[in-house]
Amino acid sequence: MSSASVQAIGLTKVFAREDMNATLQALDNVSLTIQPGEFVAIVGTSGCGKSTLLRIIAGLEIPTRGEVLCGGERVTGTNPKRGLVFQEHNLYPWLTVRGNIEFALKAAKKFKGSAARVRKLLEIAGLEEFANSYPHQLSGGMRQRAALIRALAIAPDVLLLDEPLGALDSFTRMNLQDEIISLWRGRGSTMILITHDVDEAIYLSQRVLIMSPRPGRITAELPVPISYPRNRSSSDFVQLRNEILLRLNFAREDMEEFNL
Amino acid sequence: MMETVAANSAGVSSIWELRQIEARPKSRRRLAWERALTALPAAALVLVLLQYKLAPNFKTTSVYRTTDIYTWFISAALACALAYFAASLASRRVYERLTRSAPIYTAVALLFLGYDRLTLKSGVLPLPYFPWPDKVLSAMYEDRVMLLDCVKNSLVLLFSGYLTGAAAGLVTGITAGLNKTVLYWVSPLIKVLGPIPSTTWVPIVLILATSLFGGSVFLIALGVWYPVTMTSLNGIQNIRPANFEVARTMGAGRLRLIFKVAIPSAMPHIFQGLTQGMSMACAALMVAEMMGVESGLGWYINWQRGWAEFAKMYSAIIVICLTFTFVNAVLTQVKRRALRWQEGGAR
Repeated sequence: MSSASVQAIGLTKVFAREDMNATLQALDNVSLTIQPGEFVAIVGTSGCGKSTLLRIIAGLEIPTRGEVLCGGERVTGTNPKRGLVFQEHNLYPWLTVRGNIEFALKAAKKFKGSAARVRKLLEIAGLEEFANSYPHQLSGGMRQRAALIRALAIAPDVLLLDEPLGALDSFTRMNLQDEIISLWRGRGSTMILITHDVDEAIYLSQRVLIMSPRPGRITAELPVPISYPRNRSSSDFVQLRNEILLRLNFAREDMEEFNL
Repeated sequence: MMETVAANSAGVSSIWELRQIEARPKSRRRLAWERALTALPAAALVLVLLQYKLAPNFKTTSVYRTTDIYTWFISAALACALAYFAASLASRRVYERLTRSAPIYTAVALLFLGYDRLTLKSGVLPLPYFPWPDKVLSAMYEDRVMLLDCVKNSLVLLFSGYLTGAAAGLVTGITAGLNKTVLYWVSPLIKVLGPIPSTTWVPIVLILATSLFGGSVFLIALGVWYPVTMTSLNGIQNIRPANFEVARTMGAGRLRLIFKVAIPSAMPHIFQGLTQGMSMACAALMVAEMMGVESGLGWYINWQRGWAEFAKMYSAIIVICLTFTFVNAVLTQVKRRALRWQEGGAR
């Protein structure tokens, strides 16, 4: 079990839009602190800069202002300690499921003696029989599971999930949500989930951060004081969902208050 | 390609069987026609044989004397056609395949029949420009040692040029795709040299090259270099950024990004260039051999034309055709294997 804290300090990101000779501000002074082993969800409408925030934490984008600390160390680039699962599975089509997992292990220099781990992960994801299949031979849910265990194979301290279930049907999605919870509880790494699905955020995380767009800011923070496993139709759950929707300007009552 | 049939309650054990079950029933007339079709190639070949042996030749002079080589050739084809027909009676699968290919085989046999009639039997198409099949085959048989030597020399030259050009193209295209500075310096070169057919350089090569072989390798390589460079450059530039990002978040270093991500990603593009390059190489090979190199099939054709040996010329053209078809079939197999991960197999 390994995990690390994540701290963002005053993150501001401005993108150059060379085609229009203009700039676009994606993030405005975003600060957050996430404890080691914590599961945090960030919700917001599309285009609110939540993916940009995650990509900066992963080390794929350089912030215009501000910095990210992971386990107390400044993030200057990508690192296998911070795994990222994308919305698209992004498996390599020329490698089998096993080949993709082994690619990750080799890239992270953790390949030696990993055979038992790989077998275990394939079993957890229910992909033992498909270890030698190519991605195009799998269903959407199986691909996403393969992508998930590929990220987990290298045992990152922080797992960043960028709408990993966004492209799946609702049944597959609910199944995988339970799997994500059990993987997290089993491994204990820090989890940061980006989603636009409010139910998913409440179902999975211990704390929900709400972002508003143009430029992206964190406007609210709500703890989820419900014990696992959670019931999607319990009154606590429904109440929290209403509150979040309200803050995202999607609830009908009190519209004026938030438009001011 | 890959046939995996899961256990099912319909008792279907192969994809072929499944298609049979679900195929629309055919009318009785259609079935009779298909059966007749499978016998047509053999029947047409019998006609070819009968005409060749029994119909009188246009003239009885020595020029119009014929050999048994053509008889043997057509008999062998006939034996194959009969064997195929017999197999089609035994196996449903072979039968299906034969009904599809029978029309084209019949057409080829009829082409031989017609050409024989126009040349050997009636002289409508006169000698020396239109030798009949027996004459061409005899010429091929007579010169077989030399022809094989020419095939060997042509292949050595072809692959020396092709492999050099492909290697150079891969290096140029991939480094230019990955490195902006290389692209800056290479792209004007590609723009200027690319559209010029490599054979344009023949006169210069004839003057500058220290050996004709070396010069020809250069010409062929140049023709291959351009398409391989363009497609590998395109292939690298069209890689989704996510392919690199995934590997970077896993800690992949620069070499791994190039050799394990960039190059495999670009493979489908690269193979397009390798295929285009092969036809460029074949064209350049013929030009090189006809211009100066004193061996190989192109040279043989030119040499026999000088002696007005048209039958030998045609026989060499047939050998070239067979050689290039074989080379391309090998390339297609290599491509299939390398790209077997693609959805629906390699295209």
